[in-house]
Amino acid sequence: MNTIRTHARHRGHLSNALGIGLLWTIASIVALLFLGIIAYIMWEGVQYLFDPVFYGTREYGIGRELFNTLYLLILSQVLLLPIALGAAIYLTEYARTRALVDAIHFAAETLASVPSLVLGLFGVLIFVSYFGLGTSRIAGALALVCLNLPFALRLFENAITAVPHELREGAYALGATTWHTIWTIVLPSALPDIVTTTILTSNRVIGESAVLLFTMGLFSPANSLTLDWSLPGATLTTHLYNVTGPGAGTTGLSMHQEMIVTAGSAALLITVILLFNIFARVIGHAVSKSLAAE
Amino acid sequence: MRYPVDTIARTILLLCAVQVVIVILGVFLFLGLKAFNVFGQGATITGFLFDTHWDPMGLGSADGIPAFGAGGLILGSLVITLGSVLIATPLSIGLALFLTDVSSPVLQKIFRPILEVFTGVPSVVIGFYGLVVVVPLLQALVGNLTGNHVTAGYGWGAAIIVLVIMILPTITSISIDALRAVPGSVREASLALGATRWQMMMTTVVPAAAAGLATAVVLGMARAIGETLAVSLVLAGHRVPSWDQPLFNIFFQPNVNITQYIAIDFGESYGAGRDAYFTLAFVLLLTSFIFVVVSRRLSSKKAYL
Repeated sequence: MNTIRTHARHRGHLSNALGIGLLWTIASIVALLFLGIIAYIMWEGVQYLFDPVFYGTREYGIGRELFNTLYLLILSQVLLLPIALGAAIYLTEYARTRALVDAIHFAAETLASVPSLVLGLFGVLIFVSYFGLGTSRIAGALALVCLNLPFALRLFENAITAVPHELREGAYALGATTWHTIWTIVLPSALPDIVTTTILTSNRVIGESAVLLFTMGLFSPANSLTLDWSLPGATLTTHLYNVTGPGAGTTGLSMHQEMIVTAGSAALLITVILLFNIFARVIGHAVSKSLAAE
Repeated sequence: MRYPVDTIARTILLLCAVQVVIVILGVFLFLGLKAFNVFGQGATITGFLFDTHWDPMGLGSADGIPAFGAGGLILGSLVITLGSVLIATPLSIGLALFLTDVSSPVLQKIFRPILEVFTGVPSVVIGFYGLVVVVPLLQALVGNLTGNHVTAGYGWGAAIIVLVIMILPTITSISIDALRAVPGSVREASLALGATRWQMMMTTVVPAAAAGLATAVVLGMARAIGETLAVSLVLAGHRVPSWDQPLFNIFFQPNVNITQYIAIDFGESYGAGRDAYFTLAFVLLLTSFIFVVVSRRLSSKKAYL
């Protein structure tokens, strides 16, 4: 009896050691893989980030694409944030019927799952052709808004629901209307989370590419450095795609220059995303600290 | 609500919220209307799904007769999606278990940000990495075995590796949420009954979180099937490969899938040929819709609430 029990326990310990060892192995491999990829991309491209020609519009410069990315970032965020925040406020503060909230959540979940490329084709049908905007920055921005709307909505909803209910009750007890409570109590309390959400959606705008392929095009004209929203143009990501893939050898760049464009853009994108993440994290920390102080 | 400003605010905000519904209905309506045009121009549904000759612009035939056989593209999407999910699932769930039940809080503090940063890495950057690292590596490894060394390395194999890299963070972070939702008391009960840590995880935590873990896998699949640029760069095919060669060769030679064909050829298409690409997009749309419905079904079946 005793030996059987020792055996059983022994086997348990062996499988436990093996199992935990397996999990450690998986975690180490994945961590090395991820860090390896980021390190590789930085290592290949970081040297070009200190080259002024890289940011210009001549030779292998990506000045136009950089400008397009920033332009698109601002334009799409200006369109997206009010709508997403408004929708989130409605769903959390005003909506009374459960069915409506559920329907909108289902719509948002479905929209969030639509592949970026498919939304791009939808953008071609509706913004480029139906609204007659052509292949342009505004068409690209509108398609991006559709893509980011469910994502921003969910984050904003989380931000607003995280505001303690007592604050609202206090305002209502003092006779404030719903809107007055939202404007003076809820939104200011949720502000840090709202900023974090803005950073996270910006991250997605900068990294997004498939939705822009046909709504904004792959070619940046010579007058790209203007504010005209009817111009087509490539962003950092779509330019990187074009130079690496379908457009390789047709862009008038030498192979070495193509490598500078692709390796440099990849490193620049990673740098920006790292900075945004750190920034979002710092703000998040500031929030949890101020909450802990209360 | 008795005050006008409140009523106005309420109405404007409602309009914002309804936007989401309008957009998704618009997507289904506009793409759906376009998607069926092609069946009035010589395509049949079975032919579309199972034939492998895709030439909607009729460029390949002398008299410009188009061919709408998307079977090869659909097969490509299925193979790389299923392949990548099969590889990524054990890795992701293992990593999630490691982070929730094995590692120390310090390690979690290091790991979580890496995971978050990696979720945000643009797909085209992963594609670039695939092109300059994964493809040459595969070419060096299996190039001589596939018959054609020059083009070896591109194809389903490389696409599966790239997709694994892309969906691993997605599946892991949803799995972590699912595992965290299992109450600590369940773990304690298991340990108190004499289970080892591994037995506790395998017999209690994983079964309790099964629905959540399945949701994670389904959402990973949804991401994999729609992924475009990274996959397109490493597939690099221009036609469906011939099937009378060993399966091994097909995996490591240039190939095609739905998104790659749309990305490369949609821009130059017009008229009836263009409608065929909307049909492809509609297939993707329906597939991801099915994934959403399935994941909602799964996540409503929670063992512990």
